[in-house]
Amino acid sequence: MASESMRLVRRYLPAQRLVHWIGVLTFLTLLFSGIALLVPPLAFLAAGGTSRLIHRIAIVPFVLLPIAYVILNPKQTKELLVESFTFTRDDLEWFKHMPAYFFGRTKGLPPQGRINAGQKLHHATTFLMFVIVAASGFVLLFGKGQLGPDGLALAAMAHDLSMLGLTVMMIGHLYFTLLYDALNSMLTGFVTEEYAKMEHPKWLEELPPNAFVVKSKEGDQTSAPKAKSP
Amino acid sequence: MATRYAFSIDLDRCIGCQACVVACKTGNEVPLTDSFIAVRDIVRGQSPNFFGSFAHQRCFHCGDAACVSVCPTGALSKWNGLTVVDVDKCSACGYCTDACPYKVPHITDNHVSKCIACLDLVKDGESPWCAQTCPSQAIKFGEREAILASAKTRVATIAARYPNANVYGETQLGGLGLLMILLEKPAVYGLPEKPEITLRLEAWQQVVQPASVGLTLTAVAVTGLSFIIARRQHLREKAAAPAPAETAAEGKSAEVRPEQSAAESKERKENG
Repeated sequence: MASESMRLVRRYLPAQRLVHWIGVLTFLTLLFSGIALLVPPLAFLAAGGTSRLIHRIAIVPFVLLPIAYVILNPKQTKELLVESFTFTRDDLEWFKHMPAYFFGRTKGLPPQGRINAGQKLHHATTFLMFVIVAASGFVLLFGKGQLGPDGLALAAMAHDLSMLGLTVMMIGHLYFTLLYDALNSMLTGFVTEEYAKMEHPKWLEELPPNAFVVKSKEGDQTSAPKAKSP
Repeated sequence: MATRYAFSIDLDRCIGCQACVVACKTGNEVPLTDSFIAVRDIVRGQSPNFFGSFAHQRCFHCGDAACVSVCPTGALSKWNGLTVVDVDKCSACGYCTDACPYKVPHITDNHVSKCIACLDLVKDGESPWCAQTCPSQAIKFGEREAILASAKTRVATIAARYPNANVYGETQLGGLGLLMILLEKPAVYGLPEKPEITLRLEAWQQVVQPASVGLTLTAVAVTGLSFIIARRQHLREKAAAPAPAETAAEGKSAEVRPEQSAAESKERKENG
Protein backbone atom coordinates (compact mmCIF):
# COMPACT_ATOMS: atom_id res chain seq x y z
CA MET A 1 0.00 0.00 0.00
CA ALA A 2 2.92 2.29 0.65
CA SER A 3 4.03 2.59 -2.94
CA GLU A 4 0.62 3.47 -4.32
CA SER A 5 0.81 5.93 -7.13
CA MET A 6 -1.02 6.42 -10.39
CA ARG A 7 -0.54 8.17 -13.67
CA LEU A 8 -3.00 10.97 -14.42
CA VAL A 9 -3.70 12.74 -17.67
CA ARG A 10 -4.65 16.39 -17.97
CA ARG A 11 -8.04 16.62 -19.62
CA TYR A 12 -9.46 20.07 -18.85
CA LEU A 13 -7.88 23.48 -18.39
CA PRO A 14 -8.91 25.55 -15.36
CA ALA A 15 -10.78 28.00 -17.63
CA GLN A 16 -12.77 25.12 -19.13
CA ARG A 17 -13.70 23.82 -15.69
CA LEU A 18 -14.72 27.28 -14.56
CA VAL A 19 -16.97 27.71 -17.61
CA HIS A 20 -18.39 24.25 -17.02
CA TRP A 21 -19.28 24.76 -13.36
CA ILE A 22 -20.65 28.27 -13.71
CA GLY A 23 -22.59 26.87 -16.64
CA VAL A 24 -24.00 24.13 -14.41
CA LEU A 25 -25.00 26.63 -11.75
CA THR A 26 -26.69 29.06 -14.13
CA PHE A 27 -28.32 26.28 -16.15
CA LEU A 28 -29.90 24.73 -13.06
CA THR A 29 -31.00 28.15 -11.82
CA LEU A 30 -32.63 28.88 -15.17
CA LEU A 31 -34.19 25.41 -15.31
CA PHE A 32 -35.83 25.59 -11.90
CA SER A 33 -36.86 29.24 -12.11
CA GLY A 34 -38.31 28.52 -15.54
CA ILE A 35 -40.06 25.31 -14.60
CA ALA A 36 -42.07 27.30 -12.05
CA LEU A 37 -44.18 28.40 -15.03
CA LEU A 38 -44.74 24.82 -16.22
CA VAL A 39 -45.52 22.87 -13.09
CA PRO A 40 -48.64 24.18 -11.35
CA PRO A 41 -47.55 23.14 -7.81
CA LEU A 42 -44.44 25.30 -8.26
CA ALA A 43 -46.44 28.34 -9.37
CA PHE A 44 -46.00 29.97 -5.96
CA LEU A 45 -42.35 30.53 -6.88
CA ALA A 46 -43.50 32.67 -9.78
CA ALA A 47 -46.03 34.74 -7.84
CA GLY A 48 -44.91 38.30 -7.37
CA GLY A 49 -42.15 37.81 -9.90
CA THR A 50 -39.60 36.04 -7.65
CA SER A 51 -38.66 33.37 -10.17
CA ARG A 52 -38.75 35.94 -12.97
CA LEU A 53 -36.12 38.07 -11.25
CA ILE A 54 -33.89 35.04 -10.60
CA HIS A 55 -34.38 33.88 -14.19
CA ARG A 56 -33.36 37.26 -15.58
CA ILE A 57 -30.27 37.54 -13.40
CA ALA A 58 -29.12 34.03 -14.37
CA ILE A 59 -29.47 34.86 -18.07
CA VAL A 60 -26.48 37.20 -17.86
CA PRO A 61 -23.76 34.66 -16.96
CA PHE A 62 -25.51 31.92 -18.95
CA VAL A 63 -25.22 33.89 -22.18
CA LEU A 64 -22.09 35.96 -21.53
CA LEU A 65 -19.89 33.17 -20.18
CA PRO A 66 -19.76 31.04 -23.36
CA ILE A 67 -19.29 34.21 -25.41
CA ALA A 68 -16.40 35.30 -23.19
CA TYR A 69 -14.86 31.84 -23.45
CA VAL A 70 -15.14 31.89 -27.23
CA ILE A 71 -13.47 35.29 -27.39
CA LEU A 72 -10.69 34.40 -24.94
CA ASN A 73 -10.04 30.89 -26.24
CA PRO A 74 -10.73 30.95 -29.96
CA LYS A 75 -8.33 28.07 -30.61
CA GLN A 76 -9.88 25.65 -28.12
CA THR A 77 -13.36 26.69 -29.20
CA LYS A 78 -12.63 25.99 -32.83
CA GLU A 79 -11.10 22.64 -31.91
CA LEU A 80 -14.10 21.73 -29.81
CA LEU A 81 -16.61 22.73 -32.48
CA VAL A 82 -14.76 20.95 -35.28
CA GLU A 83 -14.33 17.83 -33.16
CA SER A 84 -17.92 17.89 -31.97
CA PHE A 85 -19.40 18.10 -35.44
CA THR A 86 -17.05 15.61 -37.15
CA PHE A 87 -18.46 12.11 -37.02
CA THR A 88 -16.27 9.23 -38.23
CA ARG A 89 -16.89 5.57 -39.00
CA ASP A 90 -15.68 4.71 -35.50
CA ASP A 91 -18.38 6.98 -34.12
CA LEU A 92 -21.08 5.11 -36.01
CA GLU A 93 -19.70 1.86 -34.64
CA TRP A 94 -19.72 3.41 -31.19
CA PHE A 95 -23.40 4.27 -31.49
CA LYS A 96 -24.12 0.62 -32.25
CA HIS A 97 -22.52 -0.20 -28.90
CA MET A 98 -24.36 2.63 -27.19
CA PRO A 99 -27.14 0.43 -25.68
CA ALA A 100 -24.54 -1.87 -24.13
CA TYR A 101 -22.50 1.15 -23.00
CA PHE A 102 -25.66 2.59 -21.46
CA PHE A 103 -25.93 -0.54 -19.34
CA GLY A 104 -22.35 -0.44 -18.15
CA ARG A 105 -20.55 -2.53 -20.78
CA THR A 106 -17.42 -0.95 -22.25
CA LYS A 107 -16.01 -4.10 -23.81
CA GLY A 108 -16.02 -4.04 -27.60
CA LEU A 109 -16.27 -0.26 -27.83
CA PRO A 110 -14.49 0.97 -30.93
CA PRO A 111 -11.48 3.12 -29.93
CA GLN A 112 -12.37 6.77 -29.45
CA GLY A 113 -10.42 10.01 -29.59
CA ARG A 114 -10.48 12.85 -27.10
CA ILE A 115 -14.25 13.15 -27.46
CA ASN A 116 -16.22 9.96 -27.86
CA ALA A 117 -19.23 9.73 -30.15
CA GLY A 118 -21.72 10.17 -27.32
CA GLN A 119 -19.91 13.28 -26.17
CA LYS A 120 -19.87 14.59 -29.73
CA LEU A 121 -23.61 14.15 -29.94
CA HIS A 122 -23.95 15.78 -26.54
CA HIS A 123 -21.78 18.76 -27.53
CA ALA A 124 -23.38 19.25 -30.92
CA THR A 125 -26.90 19.07 -29.51
CA THR A 126 -26.02 21.31 -26.58
CA PHE A 127 -24.53 23.90 -28.93
CA LEU A 128 -27.61 23.96 -31.19
CA MET A 129 -30.07 23.91 -28.29
CA PHE A 130 -28.18 26.69 -26.56
CA VAL A 131 -28.60 28.92 -29.61
CA ILE A 132 -32.33 28.09 -29.83
CA VAL A 133 -33.04 28.51 -26.13
CA ALA A 134 -31.19 31.81 -26.00
CA ALA A 135 -32.77 33.19 -29.18
CA SER A 136 -36.33 32.19 -28.21
CA GLY A 137 -35.69 33.52 -24.71
CA PHE A 138 -34.76 36.92 -26.10
CA VAL A 139 -37.88 36.91 -28.27
CA LEU A 140 -40.03 36.12 -25.22
CA LEU A 141 -38.25 38.73 -23.11
CA PHE A 142 -38.23 41.65 -25.52
CA GLY A 143 -41.29 40.78 -27.60
CA LYS A 144 -43.67 40.57 -24.67
CA GLY A 145 -47.04 42.04 -25.63
CA GLN A 146 -46.19 42.26 -29.33
CA LEU A 147 -46.01 38.59 -30.25
CA GLY A 148 -49.69 37.74 -30.60
CA PRO A 149 -51.02 34.24 -29.85
CA ASP A 150 -49.07 32.47 -32.62
CA GLY A 151 -45.82 34.31 -32.00
CA LEU A 152 -46.02 33.58 -28.29
CA ALA A 153 -46.82 29.92 -28.92
CA LEU A 154 -43.94 29.50 -31.40
CA ALA A 155 -41.35 31.20 -29.21
CA ALA A 156 -42.54 29.39 -26.10
CA MET A 157 -42.57 26.00 -27.84
CA ALA A 158 -39.03 26.57 -29.12
CA HIS A 159 -37.99 27.61 -25.62
CA ASP A 160 -39.67 24.63 -23.93
CA LEU A 161 -38.44 22.02 -26.42
CA SER A 162 -34.84 23.23 -26.57
CA MET A 163 -34.83 23.27 -22.78
CA LEU A 164 -36.27 19.75 -22.78
CA GLY A 165 -33.40 18.72 -25.08
CA LEU A 166 -30.80 20.36 -22.85
CA THR A 167 -32.29 18.88 -19.69
CA VAL A 168 -32.44 15.33 -21.06
CA MET A 169 -28.87 15.77 -22.32
CA MET A 170 -27.83 16.93 -18.87
CA ILE A 171 -29.49 13.93 -17.22
CA GLY A 172 -27.70 11.59 -19.63
CA HIS A 173 -24.43 13.45 -19.08
CA LEU A 174 -24.77 13.09 -15.32
CA TYR A 175 -25.71 9.44 -15.73
CA PHE A 176 -22.58 8.51 -17.67
CA THR A 177 -20.41 10.66 -15.42
CA LEU A 178 -21.54 8.82 -12.30
CA LEU A 179 -21.66 5.43 -14.00
CA TYR A 180 -18.02 5.59 -15.18
CA ASP A 181 -16.60 7.60 -12.26
CA ALA A 182 -15.76 10.55 -14.47
CA LEU A 183 -16.70 13.34 -12.07
CA ASN A 184 -13.11 13.86 -10.98
CA SER A 185 -12.01 14.92 -14.42
CA MET A 186 -14.13 18.04 -14.23
CA LEU A 187 -13.28 18.64 -10.56
CA THR A 188 -9.50 18.32 -10.82
CA GLY A 189 -8.96 18.60 -14.56
CA PHE A 190 -7.25 15.19 -14.60
CA VAL A 191 -8.37 11.65 -15.40
CA THR A 192 -6.65 8.41 -14.57
CA GLU A 193 -4.72 6.70 -17.31
CA GLU A 194 -6.93 3.66 -16.81
CA TYR A 195 -10.04 5.70 -17.52
CA ALA A 196 -8.48 7.28 -20.60
CA LYS A 197 -7.50 3.82 -21.86
CA MET A 198 -11.08 2.64 -21.45
CA GLU A 199 -12.85 5.64 -22.96
CA HIS A 200 -10.41 7.51 -25.19
CA PRO A 201 -7.54 5.22 -26.30
CA LYS A 202 -6.91 7.12 -29.56
CA TRP A 203 -6.53 10.34 -27.63
CA LEU A 204 -4.19 8.68 -25.15
CA GLU A 205 -1.89 7.49 -27.94
CA GLU A 206 -1.54 10.95 -29.43
CA LEU A 207 -0.74 12.64 -26.13
CA PRO A 208 2.77 14.02 -25.58
CA PRO A 209 4.63 12.54 -22.59
CA ASN A 210 4.35 15.76 -20.59
CA ALA A 211 0.58 15.35 -20.47
CA PHE A 212 1.02 12.77 -17.71
CA VAL A 213 1.55 13.36 -14.04
CA VAL A 214 2.21 10.88 -11.29
CA LYS A 215 0.04 11.25 -8.28
CA SER A 216 0.79 9.74 -4.93
CA LYS A 217 -2.14 7.92 -3.42
CA GLU A 218 -1.14 8.82 0.10
CA GLY A 219 -1.85 12.51 -0.30
CA ASP A 220 -5.17 14.24 -0.18
CA GLN A 221 -7.24 12.71 -2.95
CA THR A 222 -8.83 15.92 -4.05
CA SER A 223 -5.70 18.06 -4.13
CA ALA A 224 -4.17 18.81 -7.49
CA PRO A 225 -1.18 16.66 -8.47
CA LYS A 226 2.14 18.36 -7.92
CA ALA A 227 4.77 16.16 -9.47
CA LYS A 228 5.02 16.19 -13.24
CA SER A 229 6.82 13.46 -15.09
CA PRO A 230 9.41 14.71 -17.55
CA MET B 1 -75.16 24.19 -12.38
CA ALA B 2 -73.43 27.31 -11.34
CA THR B 3 -74.78 30.64 -12.39
CA ARG B 4 -73.24 32.08 -15.52
CA TYR B 5 -73.04 35.85 -15.42
CA ALA B 6 -72.62 38.20 -18.36
CA PHE B 7 -72.53 41.87 -19.30
CA SER B 8 -74.21 43.42 -22.28
CA ILE B 9 -73.41 46.74 -23.90
CA ASP B 10 -76.04 48.28 -26.11
CA LEU B 11 -74.33 50.54 -28.64
CA ASP B 12 -77.66 52.04 -29.67
CA ARG B 13 -78.00 53.38 -26.14
CA CYS B 14 -74.35 54.21 -25.45
CA ILE B 15 -73.73 57.95 -25.68
CA GLY B 16 -69.96 57.72 -25.24
CA CYS B 17 -70.01 59.80 -22.07
CA GLN B 18 -67.15 57.89 -20.39
CA ALA B 19 -69.07 57.66 -17.12
CA CYS B 20 -68.41 53.89 -17.01
CA VAL B 21 -64.68 54.49 -17.44
CA VAL B 22 -64.60 56.96 -14.55
CA ALA B 23 -66.85 54.81 -12.34
CA CYS B 24 -64.63 51.78 -12.98
CA LYS B 25 -61.46 53.66 -12.17
CA THR B 26 -62.89 55.20 -9.02
CA GLY B 27 -64.73 52.14 -7.76
CA ASN B 28 -61.82 49.78 -8.29
CA GLU B 29 -59.16 52.31 -7.28
CA VAL B 30 -57.34 51.81 -10.56
CA PRO B 31 -54.16 53.93 -10.71
CA LEU B 32 -54.36 57.07 -12.83
CA THR B 33 -51.99 55.69 -15.44
CA ASP B 34 -53.98 52.49 -15.89
CA SER B 35 -57.50 51.60 -16.98
CA PHE B 36 -59.63 48.45 -17.06
CA ILE B 37 -62.01 49.73 -19.71
CA ALA B 38 -61.92 52.31 -22.50
CA VAL B 39 -64.52 53.82 -24.81
CA ARG B 40 -63.56 55.54 -28.03
CA ASP B 41 -65.45 57.07 -30.91
CA ILE B 42 -65.46 55.38 -34.26
CA VAL B 43 -66.50 57.17 -37.41
CA ARG B 44 -66.87 55.34 -40.70
CA GLY B 45 -67.87 56.38 -44.20
CA GLN B 46 -67.56 59.50 -46.33
CA SER B 47 -69.46 62.76 -46.02
CA PRO B 48 -72.40 63.03 -46.03
CA ASN B 49 -72.98 59.35 -45.18
CA PHE B 50 -71.28 59.01 -41.84
CA PHE B 51 -71.69 56.18 -39.45
CA GLY B 52 -70.67 56.91 -35.89
CA SER B 53 -70.58 54.64 -32.88
CA PHE B 54 -68.50 53.75 -29.84
CA ALA B 55 -66.01 50.97 -29.50
CA HIS B 56 -65.57 49.50 -26.01
CA GLN B 57 -62.15 48.05 -25.30
CA ARG B 58 -62.56 45.76 -22.32
CA CYS B 59 -62.50 42.13 -21.26
CA PHE B 60 -65.04 39.92 -23.04
CA HIS B 61 -64.96 37.27 -20.30
CA CYS B 62 -64.66 34.49 -22.90
CA GLY B 63 -66.23 31.12 -22.12
CA ASP B 64 -63.01 29.48 -23.34
CA ALA B 65 -60.54 32.12 -22.26
CA ALA B 66 -57.10 31.98 -23.89
CA CYS B 67 -55.65 34.08 -21.08
CA VAL B 68 -56.83 31.58 -18.46
CA SER B 69 -55.50 28.62 -20.43
CA VAL B 70 -52.00 30.12 -20.78
CA CYS B 71 -51.81 31.60 -17.28
CA PRO B 72 -49.17 29.48 -15.52
CA THR B 73 -49.92 30.58 -11.97
CA GLY B 74 -53.71 30.63 -11.75
CA ALA B 75 -53.74 34.42 -11.41
CA LEU B 76 -56.44 34.40 -14.08
CA SER B 77 -59.34 32.02 -13.60
CA LYS B 78 -63.02 31.57 -14.38
CA TRP B 79 -65.69 32.22 -11.80
CA ASN B 80 -69.33 31.77 -12.81
CA GLY B 81 -68.63 32.77 -16.40
CA LEU B 82 -66.45 35.73 -15.47
CA THR B 83 -62.69 35.91 -15.98
CA VAL B 84 -61.37 37.03 -12.63
CA VAL B 85 -57.95 38.13 -11.42
CA ASP B 86 -55.90 37.22 -8.37
CA VAL B 87 -53.14 39.83 -8.53
CA ASP B 88 -51.16 38.18 -5.71
CA LYS B 89 -50.61 35.07 -7.82
CA CYS B 90 -49.53 36.97 -10.93
CA SER B 91 -45.92 36.53 -12.08
CA ALA B 92 -46.20 39.20 -14.79
CA CYS B 93 -45.02 36.68 -17.38
CA GLY B 94 -47.20 38.44 -19.94
CA TYR B 95 -48.46 35.27 -21.65
CA CYS B 96 -52.06 36.58 -21.35
CA THR B 97 -51.24 39.83 -23.14
CA ASP B 98 -50.07 37.89 -26.18
CA ALA B 99 -52.65 35.10 -26.05
CA CYS B 100 -55.80 37.25 -25.83
CA PRO B 101 -57.45 37.63 -29.25
CA TYR B 102 -58.78 41.04 -28.16
CA LYS B 103 -55.47 42.32 -26.74
CA VAL B 104 -57.16 43.15 -23.45
CA PRO B 105 -54.95 42.10 -20.52
CA HIS B 106 -51.84 44.18 -20.00
CA ILE B 107 -49.01 44.24 -17.49
CA THR B 108 -48.90 47.26 -15.21
CA ASP B 109 -46.84 47.67 -12.07
CA ASN B 110 -45.59 44.07 -12.32
CA HIS B 111 -48.98 42.41 -12.49
CA VAL B 112 -51.81 41.77 -14.90
CA SER B 113 -54.45 44.43 -15.32
CA LYS B 114 -57.89 44.01 -16.84
CA CYS B 115 -61.60 44.16 -15.96
CA ILE B 116 -62.15 42.18 -12.78
CA ALA B 117 -65.96 42.25 -13.13
CA CYS B 118 -66.13 44.07 -9.76
CA LEU B 119 -66.13 40.66 -8.16
CA ASP B 120 -66.72 41.97 -4.63
CA LEU B 121 -69.87 43.79 -5.73
CA VAL B 122 -71.11 40.82 -7.72
CA LYS B 123 -70.59 38.48 -4.78
CA ASP B 124 -72.68 40.88 -2.69
CA GLY B 125 -75.47 40.65 -5.27
CA GLU B 126 -74.82 44.06 -6.79
CA SER B 127 -73.95 45.08 -10.34
CA PRO B 128 -70.44 46.18 -11.38
CA TRP B 129 -69.67 49.91 -11.22
CA CYS B 130 -69.95 50.49 -14.97
CA ALA B 131 -73.43 48.96 -15.14
CA GLN B 132 -74.59 50.82 -12.03
CA THR B 133 -73.34 54.15 -13.35
CA CYS B 134 -74.30 54.12 -17.04
CA PRO B 135 -76.75 57.05 -17.41
CA SER B 136 -78.33 55.70 -20.60
CA GLN B 137 -78.59 52.14 -19.29
CA ALA B 138 -76.50 50.81 -22.13
CA ILE B 139 -74.56 48.47 -19.82
CA LYS B 140 -76.39 45.60 -18.18
CA PHE B 141 -75.22 42.82 -15.95
CA GLY B 142 -76.97 39.64 -14.84
CA GLU B 143 -77.45 35.98 -15.60
CA ARG B 144 -76.23 35.30 -19.09
CA GLU B 145 -79.40 33.66 -20.39
CA ALA B 146 -81.55 36.64 -19.46
CA ILE B 147 -78.94 39.12 -20.71
CA LEU B 148 -78.70 37.27 -24.04
CA ALA B 149 -82.48 37.15 -24.46
CA SER B 150 -82.86 40.87 -23.80
CA ALA B 151 -79.96 41.64 -26.17
CA LYS B 152 -81.70 39.70 -28.93
CA THR B 153 -84.92 41.59 -28.27
CA ARG B 154 -83.03 44.87 -28.53
CA VAL B 155 -81.51 43.86 -31.86
CA ALA B 156 -84.98 43.04 -33.19
CA THR B 157 -86.23 46.41 -31.97
CA ILE B 158 -83.52 48.45 -33.68
CA ALA B 159 -83.42 46.30 -36.82
CA ALA B 160 -85.52 48.83 -38.75
CA ARG B 161 -82.92 51.55 -38.17
CA TYR B 162 -79.84 49.30 -38.23
CA PRO B 163 -80.40 46.35 -40.58
CA ASN B 164 -76.91 45.00 -39.81
CA ALA B 165 -77.42 45.08 -36.05
CA ASN B 166 -76.36 41.90 -34.28
CA VAL B 167 -75.48 40.40 -30.94
CA TYR B 168 -71.75 39.79 -30.79
CA GLY B 169 -70.53 37.04 -28.50
CA GLU B 170 -73.33 34.50 -28.39
CA THR B 171 -71.14 31.68 -29.71
CA GLN B 172 -67.59 33.04 -30.02
CA LEU B 173 -64.95 31.35 -27.83
CA GLY B 174 -67.43 29.24 -25.95
CA GLY B 175 -69.79 32.17 -25.65
CA LEU B 176 -68.57 35.54 -24.41
CA GLY B 177 -69.42 36.94 -21.00
CA LEU B 178 -69.79 40.36 -22.58
CA LEU B 179 -72.45 40.52 -25.27
CA MET B 180 -72.19 43.52 -27.56
CA ILE B 181 -75.27 44.86 -29.31
CA LEU B 182 -73.52 46.08 -32.44
CA LEU B 183 -75.14 48.41 -34.95
CA GLU B 184 -72.93 47.20 -37.76
CA LYS B 185 -70.96 44.07 -38.60
CA PRO B 186 -68.20 43.21 -36.11
CA ALA B 187 -65.46 44.20 -38.57
CA VAL B 188 -66.67 47.83 -38.43
CA TYR B 189 -65.79 47.80 -34.74
CA GLY B 190 -62.52 46.01 -35.34
CA LEU B 191 -63.85 42.82 -33.78
CA PRO B 192 -62.95 39.43 -35.27
CA GLU B 193 -65.99 37.57 -36.64
CA LYS B 194 -64.71 34.18 -35.51
CA PRO B 195 -61.98 34.60 -32.93
CA GLU B 196 -60.34 31.38 -31.85
CA ILE B 197 -57.66 29.99 -29.63
CA THR B 198 -55.10 29.14 -32.32
CA LEU B 199 -53.93 25.61 -32.92
CA ARG B 200 -50.37 26.57 -32.06
CA LEU B 201 -51.43 27.99 -28.73
CA GLU B 202 -53.30 24.77 -27.98
CA ALA B 203 -50.36 22.66 -29.14
CA TRP B 204 -48.10 24.56 -26.78
CA GLN B 205 -50.46 24.23 -23.84
CA GLN B 206 -51.86 20.75 -24.42
CA VAL B 207 -48.88 18.94 -25.92
CA VAL B 208 -45.53 20.70 -25.59
CA GLN B 209 -45.79 21.79 -21.96
CA PRO B 210 -46.96 18.46 -20.51
CA ALA B 211 -44.58 16.57 -22.82
CA SER B 212 -41.62 18.66 -21.68
CA VAL B 213 -42.27 17.95 -18.03
CA GLY B 214 -43.29 14.33 -18.67
CA LEU B 215 -40.29 13.42 -20.80
CA THR B 216 -37.92 15.03 -18.33
CA LEU B 217 -39.38 12.99 -15.50
CA THR B 218 -39.27 9.88 -17.70
CA ALA B 219 -35.59 10.48 -18.37
CA VAL B 220 -34.96 10.80 -14.64
CA ALA B 221 -36.86 7.57 -13.95
CA VAL B 222 -35.22 5.58 -16.76
CA THR B 223 -31.67 6.66 -15.89
CA GLY B 224 -32.37 6.16 -12.20
CA LEU B 225 -33.49 2.57 -12.70
CA SER B 226 -30.93 1.56 -15.30
CA PHE B 227 -28.16 3.09 -13.21
CA ILE B 228 -28.56 0.28 -10.70
CA ILE B 229 -28.15 -2.36 -13.42
CA ALA B 230 -25.45 -0.51 -15.34
CA ARG B 231 -23.32 0.34 -12.31
CA ARG B 232 -23.30 -3.29 -11.23
CA GLN B 233 -22.30 -4.35 -14.73
CA HIS B 234 -19.53 -1.75 -14.88
CA LEU B 235 -18.11 -2.70 -11.50
CA ARG B 236 -18.16 -6.38 -12.46
CA GLU B 237 -16.32 -5.56 -15.70
CA LYS B 238 -13.82 -3.39 -13.89
CA ALA B 239 -13.14 -5.98 -11.22
CA ALA B 240 -12.78 -8.71 -13.81
CA ALA B 241 -10.33 -6.97 -16.09
CA PRO B 242 -7.38 -5.90 -13.92
CA ALA B 243 -7.34 -8.59 -11.27
CA PRO B 244 -6.87 -12.05 -12.72
CA ALA B 245 -4.89 -12.99 -9.65
CA GLU B 246 -7.90 -12.45 -7.45
CA THR B 247 -10.74 -13.87 -9.49
CA ALA B 248 -9.21 -15.25 -12.70
CA ALA B 249 -12.42 -14.19 -14.32
CA GLU B 250 -12.72 -14.26 -18.10
CA GLY B 251 -9.03 -14.99 -18.39
CA LYS B 252 -8.13 -11.44 -19.20
CA SER B 253 -4.61 -10.24 -18.56
CA ALA B 254 -3.97 -7.36 -16.23
CA GLU B 255 -4.00 -4.04 -17.99
CA VAL B 256 -3.79 -2.06 -14.82
CA ARG B 257 -1.68 -2.59 -11.77
CA PRO B 258 -3.53 -4.44 -8.99
CA GLU B 259 -2.87 -1.79 -6.36
CA GLN B 260 -4.86 0.59 -8.51
CA SER B 261 -7.96 -1.57 -8.52
CA ALA B 262 -7.57 -2.05 -4.81
CA ALA B 263 -7.55 1.71 -4.35
CA GLU B 264 -10.60 1.95 -6.52
CA SER B 265 -12.56 -0.65 -4.64
CA LYS B 266 -11.76 1.38 -1.54
CA GLU B 267 -13.09 4.45 -3.31
CA ARG B 268 -16.15 2.51 -4.38
CA LYS B 269 -16.95 1.61 -0.81
CA GLU B 270 -16.65 5.23 0.15
CA ASN B 271 -19.05 6.20 -2.61
CA GLY B 272 -21.49 3.63 -1.33
